[in-house]
Amino acid sequence: MSETERFVHRLALLGGVEFSTTDLEIITSEIAEMERILTELEEFAHDTPWVSLQTQPIEKKSDHD
Amino acid sequence: MISDFLEADLTDLSWLISTRELSSTEVVTAALKRLRSLEPRLNAFITVLDEQARAAAKAADDEIAHGRHRGPLHGIPITIKDMFATSGVRTTGASKILLDWVPNFDAHIVERLDAAGAILIGKTNLDEFGHGGTSTLSHFGPVHNPWNTERIAGGSSGGSAAAVAARIGPLSYGTETGSSVRRPASYCGIVGFKPTFGIISRYGSFRGAWTQDHVGIFARSVKDVALGLDATAGYDSCDPSSVQQNSPTYASHLDGNVKGLRLAVPRRFLEGTESAVKEAFEVALKTLAEAGCVIDDLDIPELSYAAMTSMITSSAESAGINRRWFRECHQDFVPHVARGLAVGMTITASEYLTVQRARHRIREALHQAYKKIDLIVSPTTPRVAPPISDGVRGNGDNTHHASNNHSNLLRFPSMLGLPGCSVPCGMTPDKMPIGMQLIGAWFSDQTVLNAGLAYQSLSDWHRQKPPVDH
Repeated sequence: MSETERFVHRLALLGGVEFSTTDLEIITSEIAEMERILTELEEFAHDTPWVSLQTQPIEKKSDHD
Repeated sequence: MISDFLEADLTDLSWLISTRELSSTEVVTAALKRLRSLEPRLNAFITVLDEQARAAAKAADDEIAHGRHRGPLHGIPITIKDMFATSGVRTTGASKILLDWVPNFDAHIVERLDAAGAILIGKTNLDEFGHGGTSTLSHFGPVHNPWNTERIAGGSSGGSAAAVAARIGPLSYGTETGSSVRRPASYCGIVGFKPTFGIISRYGSFRGAWTQDHVGIFARSVKDVALGLDATAGYDSCDPSSVQQNSPTYASHLDGNVKGLRLAVPRRFLEGTESAVKEAFEVALKTLAEAGCVIDDLDIPELSYAAMTSMITSSAESAGINRRWFRECHQDFVPHVARGLAVGMTITASEYLTVQRARHRIREALHQAYKKIDLIVSPTTPRVAPPISDGVRGNGDNTHHASNNHSNLLRFPSMLGLPGCSVPCGMTPDKMPIGMQLIGAWFSDQTVLNAGLAYQSLSDWHRQKPPVDH
Protein backbone atom coordinates (compact mmCIF):
# COMPACT_ATOMS: atom_id res chain seq x y z
CA MET A 1 0.00 0.00 0.00
CA SER A 2 1.43 3.43 -0.95
CA GLU A 3 1.55 6.25 1.62
CA THR A 4 -1.08 8.11 -0.41
CA GLU A 5 -3.42 5.13 -0.03
CA ARG A 6 -2.44 4.66 3.61
CA PHE A 7 -3.41 8.24 4.43
CA VAL A 8 -6.45 8.52 2.21
CA HIS A 9 -8.63 9.31 5.23
CA ARG A 10 -6.37 12.22 6.16
CA LEU A 11 -5.99 13.50 2.62
CA ALA A 12 -9.80 13.68 2.40
CA LEU A 13 -9.51 16.52 4.93
CA LEU A 14 -7.81 18.65 2.27
CA GLY A 15 -11.28 19.39 0.92
CA GLY A 16 -10.58 18.44 -2.67
CA VAL A 17 -7.41 20.53 -3.00
CA GLU A 18 -5.08 18.68 -5.36
CA PHE A 19 -1.30 18.54 -5.29
CA SER A 20 1.25 17.21 -7.74
CA THR A 21 2.56 13.68 -7.19
CA THR A 22 5.85 15.07 -5.91
CA ASP A 23 4.12 17.38 -3.45
CA LEU A 24 1.84 14.56 -2.31
CA GLU A 25 4.86 12.38 -1.57
CA ILE A 26 6.35 15.12 0.61
CA ILE A 27 3.01 15.75 2.34
CA THR A 28 2.35 12.07 3.09
CA SER A 29 5.86 11.60 4.37
CA GLU A 30 5.28 14.55 6.74
CA ILE A 31 1.95 13.03 7.79
CA ALA A 32 3.69 9.74 8.58
CA GLU A 33 6.15 11.67 10.80
CA MET A 34 3.29 13.51 12.43
CA GLU A 35 1.47 10.29 13.27
CA ARG A 36 4.61 8.99 14.95
CA ILE A 37 4.99 12.24 16.89
CA LEU A 38 1.36 12.13 17.99
CA THR A 39 1.87 8.65 19.38
CA GLU A 40 4.86 9.90 21.38
CA LEU A 41 2.99 12.93 22.66
CA GLU A 42 -0.09 10.92 23.60
CA GLU A 43 2.03 8.75 25.85
CA PHE A 44 3.80 11.79 27.30
CA ALA A 45 0.51 13.60 27.94
CA HIS A 46 -1.19 10.64 29.60
CA ASP A 47 -2.71 11.56 33.00
CA THR A 48 -2.32 15.28 32.33
CA PRO A 49 -5.47 17.36 32.92
CA TRP A 50 -7.50 18.60 29.98
CA VAL A 51 -7.10 22.34 29.77
CA SER A 52 -9.89 24.65 28.72
CA LEU A 53 -9.46 28.36 28.12
CA GLN A 54 -12.10 31.04 28.03
CA THR A 55 -11.68 34.61 26.87
CA GLN A 56 -13.45 37.88 27.38
CA PRO A 57 -15.65 39.38 24.66
CA ILE A 58 -13.61 41.11 21.98
CA GLU A 59 -14.26 44.58 20.60
CA LYS A 60 -14.14 45.03 16.86
CA LYS A 61 -12.53 47.96 15.13
CA SER A 62 -13.25 46.96 11.57
CA ASP A 63 -15.27 44.41 9.64
CA HIS A 64 -12.09 42.82 8.38
CA ASP A 65 -10.76 41.29 11.56
CA MET B 1 29.25 56.39 4.00
CA ILE B 2 26.94 55.97 6.95
CA SER B 3 25.69 59.17 8.58
CA ASP B 4 27.11 59.27 12.10
CA PHE B 5 23.74 59.77 13.70
CA LEU B 6 22.44 56.50 12.19
CA GLU B 7 25.06 54.86 14.42
CA ALA B 8 23.44 56.47 17.45
CA ASP B 9 21.03 54.42 19.49
CA LEU B 10 17.42 55.42 19.97
CA THR B 11 18.08 57.10 23.31
CA ASP B 12 20.78 59.41 21.92
CA LEU B 13 18.90 60.07 18.70
CA SER B 14 15.80 60.99 20.65
CA TRP B 15 17.75 63.47 22.77
CA LEU B 16 19.26 65.09 19.67
CA ILE B 17 15.82 65.45 18.07
CA SER B 18 14.11 66.69 21.24
CA THR B 19 16.76 69.39 21.72
CA ARG B 20 16.55 70.24 18.00
CA GLU B 21 20.25 69.63 17.45
CA LEU B 22 19.05 67.32 14.73
CA SER B 23 15.73 67.34 12.91
CA SER B 24 13.55 64.32 12.35
CA THR B 25 13.63 65.22 8.66
CA GLU B 26 17.43 64.86 8.58
CA VAL B 27 17.34 61.51 10.35
CA VAL B 28 14.46 60.09 8.32
CA THR B 29 16.00 61.26 5.05
CA ALA B 30 19.33 59.63 5.95
CA ALA B 31 17.61 56.39 6.99
CA LEU B 32 15.65 56.26 3.73
CA LYS B 33 18.81 56.93 1.74
CA ARG B 34 20.60 54.14 3.55
CA LEU B 35 17.65 51.82 3.04
CA ARG B 36 17.68 52.48 -0.72
CA SER B 37 21.43 52.00 -1.00
CA LEU B 38 21.47 48.68 0.88
CA GLU B 39 18.20 47.20 -0.36
CA PRO B 40 19.71 45.62 -3.51
CA ARG B 41 21.99 43.58 -1.20
CA LEU B 42 19.60 42.87 1.69
CA ASN B 43 16.09 42.62 0.19
CA ALA B 44 14.87 43.46 3.69
CA PHE B 45 11.84 45.51 2.62
CA ILE B 46 8.57 44.89 0.83
CA THR B 47 7.20 48.44 0.93
CA VAL B 48 9.11 51.70 1.46
CA LEU B 49 7.17 54.78 2.56
CA ASP B 50 9.32 57.64 1.22
CA GLU B 51 6.74 60.40 0.82
CA GLN B 52 4.63 59.46 3.81
CA ALA B 53 7.71 59.23 6.05
CA ARG B 54 9.12 62.58 4.90
CA ALA B 55 5.76 64.27 5.49
CA ALA B 56 5.46 62.71 8.95
CA ALA B 57 9.01 63.79 9.81
CA LYS B 58 8.25 67.37 8.81
CA ALA B 59 5.10 67.29 10.95
CA ALA B 60 7.16 65.95 13.88
CA ASP B 61 9.71 68.74 13.45
CA ASP B 62 6.94 71.36 13.43
CA GLU B 63 5.38 69.89 16.55
CA ILE B 64 8.67 69.72 18.42
CA ALA B 65 9.49 73.29 17.35
CA HIS B 66 6.23 74.33 19.01
CA GLY B 67 7.28 72.68 22.27
CA ARG B 68 5.23 69.53 21.92
CA HIS B 69 7.66 66.63 22.24
CA ARG B 70 5.67 63.44 22.63
CA GLY B 71 8.41 61.22 24.05
CA PRO B 72 11.40 59.04 23.15
CA LEU B 73 10.03 57.80 19.82
CA HIS B 74 8.93 61.19 18.48
CA GLY B 75 10.55 61.78 15.08
CA ILE B 76 12.46 58.47 15.14
CA PRO B 77 12.50 56.37 11.92
CA ILE B 78 11.23 52.86 12.58
CA THR B 79 10.28 49.80 10.57
CA ILE B 80 7.69 47.04 11.05
CA LYS B 81 7.31 43.53 9.69
CA ASP B 82 4.80 43.38 6.85
CA MET B 83 2.55 41.30 9.11
CA PHE B 84 0.90 44.39 10.59
CA ALA B 85 -2.05 46.14 8.95
CA THR B 86 -1.38 49.75 7.97
CA SER B 87 -4.28 51.94 6.93
CA GLY B 88 -3.85 53.12 3.34
CA VAL B 89 -0.58 51.21 2.91
CA ARG B 90 -0.44 47.76 1.34
CA THR B 91 0.00 44.87 3.73
CA THR B 92 1.09 41.63 2.09
CA GLY B 93 2.34 39.16 4.69
CA ALA B 94 4.98 38.48 1.99
CA SER B 95 2.27 36.58 0.12
CA LYS B 96 1.08 36.69 -3.47
CA ILE B 97 -2.42 36.27 -2.07
CA LEU B 98 -2.42 39.79 -0.61
CA LEU B 99 -0.15 41.42 -3.15
CA ASP B 100 -2.35 44.50 -3.47
CA TRP B 101 -4.28 44.48 -0.21
CA VAL B 102 -4.60 47.94 1.32
CA PRO B 103 -6.28 47.81 4.75
CA ASN B 104 -8.56 50.56 6.00
CA PHE B 105 -7.38 50.19 9.59
CA ASP B 106 -4.17 50.13 11.60
CA ALA B 107 -2.85 47.29 13.73
CA HIS B 108 -2.72 48.09 17.44
CA ILE B 109 1.03 48.67 17.47
CA VAL B 110 0.80 50.92 14.42
CA GLU B 111 -1.76 53.07 16.24
CA ARG B 112 0.42 53.20 19.33
CA LEU B 113 3.59 54.03 17.40
CA ASP B 114 1.77 56.75 15.51
CA ALA B 115 0.55 58.21 18.80
CA ALA B 116 4.14 58.13 20.08
CA GLY B 117 5.24 60.13 17.04
CA ALA B 118 7.42 57.39 15.49
CA ILE B 119 8.00 57.67 11.74
CA LEU B 120 7.30 54.48 9.79
CA ILE B 121 9.75 54.32 6.90
CA GLY B 122 9.16 50.80 5.64
CA LYS B 123 7.52 47.39 5.99
CA THR B 124 9.96 44.52 6.21
CA ASN B 125 10.27 41.19 4.40
CA LEU B 126 9.48 37.86 6.09
CA ASP B 127 8.56 34.23 5.55
CA GLU B 128 5.05 34.14 4.10
CA PHE B 129 2.58 35.00 6.91
CA GLY B 130 5.35 34.15 9.38
CA HIS B 131 5.51 30.47 8.38
CA GLY B 132 9.23 29.76 8.52
CA GLY B 133 12.54 30.29 10.25
CA THR B 134 14.71 31.51 7.39
CA SER B 135 13.02 34.51 5.69
CA THR B 136 13.58 32.69 2.40
CA LEU B 137 9.93 31.64 2.06
CA SER B 138 8.76 35.03 0.82
CA HIS B 139 6.96 35.83 -2.42
CA PHE B 140 9.42 38.74 -2.60
CA GLY B 141 12.56 36.60 -2.37
CA PRO B 142 14.95 35.90 0.51
CA VAL B 143 16.27 38.40 3.05
CA HIS B 144 20.08 38.54 3.14
CA ASN B 145 22.12 38.80 6.31
CA PRO B 146 24.05 42.11 6.62
CA TRP B 147 27.04 40.22 8.09
CA ASN B 148 27.31 38.01 5.03
CA THR B 149 24.79 38.45 2.27
CA GLU B 150 25.14 34.83 1.19
CA ARG B 151 23.64 33.77 4.52
CA ILE B 152 20.08 33.93 5.82
CA ALA B 153 18.93 36.60 8.24
CA GLY B 154 16.78 34.03 10.06
CA GLY B 155 13.06 34.13 10.23
CA SER B 156 10.41 34.79 10.12
CA SER B 157 11.10 38.43 11.03
CA GLY B 158 14.35 38.48 9.04
CA GLY B 159 13.76 41.81 7.30
CA SER B 160 13.29 43.61 10.62
CA ALA B 161 16.46 42.11 12.10
CA ALA B 162 18.51 42.85 8.98
CA ALA B 163 17.25 46.46 8.90
CA VAL B 164 18.22 47.19 12.52
CA ALA B 165 21.60 45.47 12.15
CA ALA B 166 22.28 47.52 9.02
CA ARG B 167 21.44 50.78 10.86
CA ILE B 168 18.24 51.42 8.88
CA GLY B 169 16.42 52.87 11.87
CA PRO B 170 17.16 51.94 15.50
CA LEU B 171 13.93 50.04 16.15
CA SER B 172 11.75 47.47 14.40
CA TYR B 173 8.76 45.35 15.33
CA GLY B 174 8.22 41.75 14.33
CA THR B 175 6.22 38.75 15.43
CA GLU B 176 7.17 35.41 16.97
CA THR B 177 5.23 32.15 16.95
CA GLY B 178 8.15 29.73 17.32
CA SER B 179 11.39 31.71 17.47
CA SER B 180 10.84 34.39 14.83
CA VAL B 181 12.24 37.28 16.87
CA ARG B 182 15.03 35.66 18.90
CA ARG B 183 16.52 33.63 16.04
CA PRO B 184 16.89 36.47 13.50
CA ALA B 185 18.15 38.77 16.26
CA SER B 186 20.85 36.21 17.07
CA TYR B 187 21.79 35.67 13.42
CA CYS B 188 22.02 39.41 12.76
CA GLY B 189 23.89 40.39 15.95
CA ILE B 190 21.23 42.57 17.58
CA VAL B 191 18.80 42.40 20.51
CA GLY B 192 15.45 40.67 19.99
CA PHE B 193 12.85 40.69 22.75
CA LYS B 194 9.53 38.89 22.99
CA PRO B 195 7.39 39.87 25.99
CA THR B 196 5.07 37.69 28.03
CA PHE B 197 2.00 36.57 26.06
CA GLY B 198 -0.63 39.31 26.31
CA ILE B 199 1.68 42.26 27.06
CA ILE B 200 1.51 43.68 23.52
CA SER B 201 -1.76 43.40 21.58
CA ARG B 202 -1.64 41.44 18.35
CA TYR B 203 -4.70 43.14 16.92
CA GLY B 204 -4.26 43.76 13.21
CA SER B 205 -1.40 41.33 12.64
CA PHE B 206 -1.81 38.16 10.64
CA ARG B 207 -2.08 35.10 12.82
CA GLY B 208 0.44 32.28 12.53
CA ALA B 209 -0.91 30.28 15.49
CA TRP B 210 -3.08 32.31 17.83
CA THR B 211 -2.06 30.60 21.07
CA GLN B 212 1.64 31.15 20.33
CA ASP B 213 1.74 34.46 18.42
CA HIS B 214 3.54 37.41 20.01
CA VAL B 215 4.66 40.85 18.92
CA GLY B 216 8.40 41.32 19.44
CA ILE B 217 10.93 44.13 19.29
CA PHE B 218 14.35 44.51 17.63
CA ALA B 219 16.97 47.10 18.58
CA ARG B 220 20.72 47.27 19.12
CA SER B 221 20.46 47.79 22.86
CA VAL B 222 18.22 46.48 25.63
CA LYS B 223 17.49 50.05 26.69
CA ASP B 224 16.07 50.82 23.25
CA VAL B 225 13.99 47.65 23.39
CA ALA B 226 12.51 48.85 26.69
CA LEU B 227 11.60 52.19 25.12
CA GLY B 228 9.96 50.34 22.25
CA LEU B 229 8.07 48.18 24.72
CA ASP B 230 6.79 51.16 26.71
CA ALA B 231 5.35 52.63 23.51
CA THR B 232 3.38 49.54 22.53
CA ALA B 233 2.54 47.51 25.66
CA GLY B 234 -0.81 47.83 27.38
CA TYR B 235 -4.29 46.35 27.50
CA ASP B 236 -6.27 46.22 24.27
CA SER B 237 -9.81 44.92 24.26
CA CYS B 238 -9.42 43.92 20.59
CA ASP B 239 -7.00 41.12 21.43
CA PRO B 240 -8.66 38.38 23.49
CA SER B 241 -5.30 37.47 25.02
CA SER B 242 -4.38 41.00 26.07
CA VAL B 243 -3.79 41.29 29.81
CA GLN B 244 -4.81 44.07 32.18
CA GLN B 245 -1.66 45.95 33.15
CA ASN B 246 -0.46 49.25 34.51
CA SER B 247 0.95 51.88 32.16
CA PRO B 248 4.23 50.38 30.99
CA THR B 249 7.39 51.85 32.52
CA TYR B 250 9.98 49.23 31.66
CA ALA B 251 12.61 51.74 30.51
CA SER B 252 12.52 53.83 33.67
CA HIS B 253 12.80 50.70 35.82
CA LEU B 254 15.88 49.38 34.05
CA ASP B 255 18.67 49.26 36.60
CA GLY B 256 20.90 46.40 35.45
CA ASN B 257 21.06 45.12 39.01
CA VAL B 258 21.38 41.35 38.81
CA LYS B 259 23.04 40.66 42.15
CA GLY B 260 21.76 37.33 43.41
CA LEU B 261 19.72 36.62 40.26
CA ARG B 262 19.43 32.84 39.84
CA LEU B 263 20.31 31.68 36.32
CA ALA B 264 19.88 28.10 35.16
CA VAL B 265 21.55 26.41 32.19
CA PRO B 266 19.68 23.43 30.69
CA ARG B 267 22.86 21.73 29.54
CA ARG B 268 21.34 18.56 28.11
CA PHE B 269 20.02 20.67 25.21
CA LEU B 270 23.41 22.12 24.32
CA GLU B 271 24.63 18.89 22.72
CA GLY B 272 25.50 19.55 19.10
CA THR B 273 26.11 23.25 19.68
CA GLU B 274 28.97 24.55 17.52
CA SER B 275 32.20 24.98 19.46
CA ALA B 276 32.50 28.74 18.75
CA VAL B 277 28.94 29.25 20.01
CA LYS B 278 29.56 27.15 23.12
CA GLU B 279 32.78 29.02 23.91
CA ALA B 280 31.15 32.43 23.50
CA PHE B 281 28.28 31.33 25.71
CA GLU B 282 30.58 30.13 28.49
CA VAL B 283 32.43 33.46 28.43
CA ALA B 284 29.10 35.29 28.61
CA LEU B 285 28.10 33.18 31.63
CA LYS B 286 31.32 34.24 33.37
CA THR B 287 30.47 37.87 32.65
CA LEU B 288 27.02 37.43 34.18
CA ALA B 289 28.57 35.70 37.20
CA GLU B 290 30.93 38.65 37.65
CA ALA B 291 27.89 40.92 37.57
CA GLY B 292 26.49 39.04 40.56
CA CYS B 293 24.33 36.30 39.02
CA VAL B 294 24.27 32.87 40.62
CA ILE B 295 24.58 30.31 37.84
CA ASP B 296 23.78 26.62 38.04
CA ASP B 297 22.71 23.76 35.82
CA LEU B 298 19.09 22.65 35.79
CA ASP B 299 17.50 19.67 34.14
CA ILE B 300 13.93 19.93 32.87
CA PRO B 301 13.43 16.68 30.96
CA GLU B 302 9.90 17.64 29.85
CA LEU B 303 11.48 20.23 27.56
CA SER B 304 12.51 17.33 25.30
CA TYR B 305 8.94 17.38 24.00
CA ALA B 306 8.68 21.15 23.52
CA ALA B 307 9.70 21.43 19.86
CA MET B 308 7.29 18.83 18.57
CA THR B 309 4.45 20.02 20.77
CA SER B 310 4.95 23.56 19.50
CA MET B 311 5.25 22.39 15.91
CA ILE B 312 2.00 20.37 15.91
CA THR B 313 0.16 23.15 17.72
CA SER B 314 1.21 25.79 15.21
CA SER B 315 0.64 23.44 12.29
CA ALA B 316 -2.98 22.78 13.32
CA GLU B 317 -3.73 26.39 14.22
CA SER B 318 -2.23 27.84 11.04
CA ALA B 319 -4.23 25.38 8.96
CA GLY B 320 -7.37 26.54 10.73
CA ILE B 321 -6.50 30.19 10.16
CA ASN B 322 -5.71 29.70 6.46
CA ARG B 323 -8.44 27.17 5.73
CA ARG B 324 -10.36 29.37 3.30
CA TRP B 325 -7.33 30.61 1.35
CA PHE B 326 -5.93 27.10 1.28
CA ARG B 327 -9.06 25.81 -0.43
CA GLU B 328 -9.54 28.78 -2.73
CA CYS B 329 -5.97 29.55 -3.81
CA HIS B 330 -3.47 27.09 -2.36
CA GLN B 331 -1.37 27.45 -5.52
CA ASP B 332 -0.68 31.08 -4.58
CA PHE B 333 1.11 30.16 -1.36
CA VAL B 334 4.88 29.62 -1.44
CA PRO B 335 5.05 25.83 -2.19
CA HIS B 336 6.77 24.88 1.08
CA VAL B 337 4.15 26.83 3.04
CA ALA B 338 1.29 25.26 1.06
CA ARG B 339 2.59 21.76 1.84
CA GLY B 340 2.90 22.65 5.53
CA LEU B 341 -0.68 23.89 5.59
CA ALA B 342 -1.80 20.67 3.91
CA VAL B 343 -0.25 18.62 6.70
CA GLY B 344 -1.90 20.85 9.29
CA MET B 345 -5.28 20.42 7.60
CA THR B 346 -5.11 16.70 8.31
CA ILE B 347 -4.71 17.03 12.10
CA THR B 348 -7.94 16.07 13.83
CA ALA B 349 -9.54 17.90 16.75
CA SER B 350 -8.83 15.09 19.19
CA GLU B 351 -5.18 15.01 18.13
CA TYR B 352 -4.86 18.76 18.63
CA LEU B 353 -6.38 18.48 22.10
CA THR B 354 -4.02 15.66 23.01
CA VAL B 355 -1.11 17.87 22.03
CA GLN B 356 -2.49 20.60 24.30
CA ARG B 357 -2.32 18.14 27.19
CA ALA B 358 1.36 17.62 26.42
CA ARG B 359 1.80 21.37 26.31
CA HIS B 360 0.18 21.65 29.73
CA ARG B 361 2.57 19.09 31.17
CA ILE B 362 5.55 21.10 29.89
CA ARG B 363 3.98 24.30 31.26
CA GLU B 364 3.65 22.73 34.71
CA ALA B 365 7.29 21.59 34.62
CA LEU B 366 8.42 25.14 33.83
CA HIS B 367 6.13 26.56 36.51
CA GLN B 368 7.86 24.34 39.09
CA ALA B 369 11.32 25.21 37.71
CA TYR B 370 10.73 28.96 38.01
CA LYS B 371 10.04 28.55 41.73
CA LYS B 372 13.75 27.78 42.09
CA ILE B 373 15.28 30.03 39.46
CA ASP B 374 14.80 33.44 37.84
CA LEU B 375 16.04 32.92 34.29
CA ILE B 376 16.88 30.09 31.95
CA VAL B 377 19.91 30.99 29.89
CA SER B 378 21.37 29.33 26.79
CA PRO B 379 22.83 30.09 23.38
CA THR B 380 19.91 31.45 21.33
CA THR B 381 20.79 29.17 18.44
CA PRO B 382 23.25 26.25 18.34
CA ARG B 383 24.97 27.59 15.24
CA VAL B 384 25.28 30.89 13.41
CA ALA B 385 23.30 31.88 10.31
CA PRO B 386 23.59 29.18 7.64
CA PRO B 387 24.04 29.84 3.91
CA ILE B 388 20.90 30.69 1.93
CA SER B 389 21.79 27.78 -0.34
CA ASP B 390 21.14 25.34 2.54
CA GLY B 391 17.40 26.04 2.16
CA VAL B 392 14.76 25.66 4.85
CA ARG B 393 16.63 22.83 6.57
CA GLY B 394 19.72 24.99 7.10
CA ASN B 395 18.75 25.95 10.64
CA GLY B 396 19.24 22.32 11.68
CA ASP B 397 15.99 22.17 13.65
CA ASN B 398 14.64 18.84 14.79
CA THR B 399 10.98 18.99 15.70
CA HIS B 400 10.29 15.33 14.92
CA HIS B 401 11.52 13.55 18.03
CA ALA B 402 11.53 13.89 21.78
CA SER B 403 15.20 14.73 21.96
CA ASN B 404 17.94 16.87 23.41
CA ASN B 405 17.97 18.95 20.23
CA HIS B 406 18.42 22.67 20.82
CA SER B 407 15.16 23.36 18.92
CA ASN B 408 13.38 22.69 22.20
CA LEU B 409 15.08 25.73 23.74
CA LEU B 410 14.10 27.92 20.81
CA ARG B 411 10.49 26.78 20.83
CA PHE B 412 9.39 26.60 24.46
CA PRO B 413 9.25 30.34 25.27
CA SER B 414 6.67 31.17 22.60
CA MET B 415 4.73 27.98 23.14
CA LEU B 416 4.36 28.85 26.83
CA GLY B 417 4.17 32.65 26.52
CA LEU B 418 7.35 33.33 28.50
CA PRO B 419 9.36 36.55 28.07
CA GLY B 420 12.64 36.05 26.22
CA CYS B 421 15.50 38.18 25.02
CA SER B 422 18.39 37.39 22.71
CA VAL B 423 21.50 39.53 23.13
CA PRO B 424 24.68 39.40 21.03
CA CYS B 425 27.41 37.55 22.97
CA GLY B 426 30.18 36.76 20.52
CA MET B 427 31.44 36.30 17.01
CA THR B 428 32.74 33.31 15.10
CA PRO B 429 36.23 33.48 13.52
CA ASP B 430 34.53 34.21 10.17
CA LYS B 431 32.69 37.16 11.74
CA MET B 432 29.17 35.84 12.15
CA PRO B 433 27.29 36.94 15.29
CA ILE B 434 26.41 34.63 18.18
CA GLY B 435 23.45 35.22 20.52
CA MET B 436 22.55 34.30 24.10
CA GLN B 437 18.93 34.04 25.20
CA LEU B 438 17.54 34.91 28.63
CA ILE B 439 14.12 33.42 29.34
CA GLY B 440 12.11 34.49 32.37
CA ALA B 441 8.97 33.36 34.14
CA TRP B 442 5.57 34.73 33.14
CA PHE B 443 5.44 38.54 33.64
CA SER B 444 9.09 38.79 34.67
CA ASP B 445 9.77 40.92 31.60
CA GLN B 446 11.54 43.55 33.69
CA THR B 447 13.91 40.93 35.13
CA VAL B 448 14.75 39.68 31.65
CA LEU B 449 15.46 43.20 30.43
CA ASN B 450 17.53 44.03 33.52
CA ALA B 451 19.70 40.96 32.96
CA GLY B 452 20.14 41.89 29.30
CA LEU B 453 21.12 45.42 30.28
CA ALA B 454 23.57 44.15 32.89
CA TYR B 455 25.23 41.94 30.29
CA GLN B 456 25.40 44.71 27.69
CA SER B 457 26.94 47.10 30.19
CA LEU B 458 29.84 44.64 30.54
CA SER B 459 30.25 43.67 26.89
CA ASP B 460 30.40 45.41 23.54
CA TRP B 461 29.21 42.75 21.11
CA HIS B 462 26.09 44.83 20.44
CA ARG B 463 28.29 47.66 19.15
CA GLN B 464 29.85 45.56 16.37
CA LYS B 465 28.94 46.73 12.88
CA PRO B 466 28.21 44.43 9.94
CA PRO B 467 30.46 44.98 6.90
CA VAL B 468 27.50 45.55 4.61
CA ASP B 469 28.85 48.85 3.27
CA HIS B 470 31.91 47.22 1.72
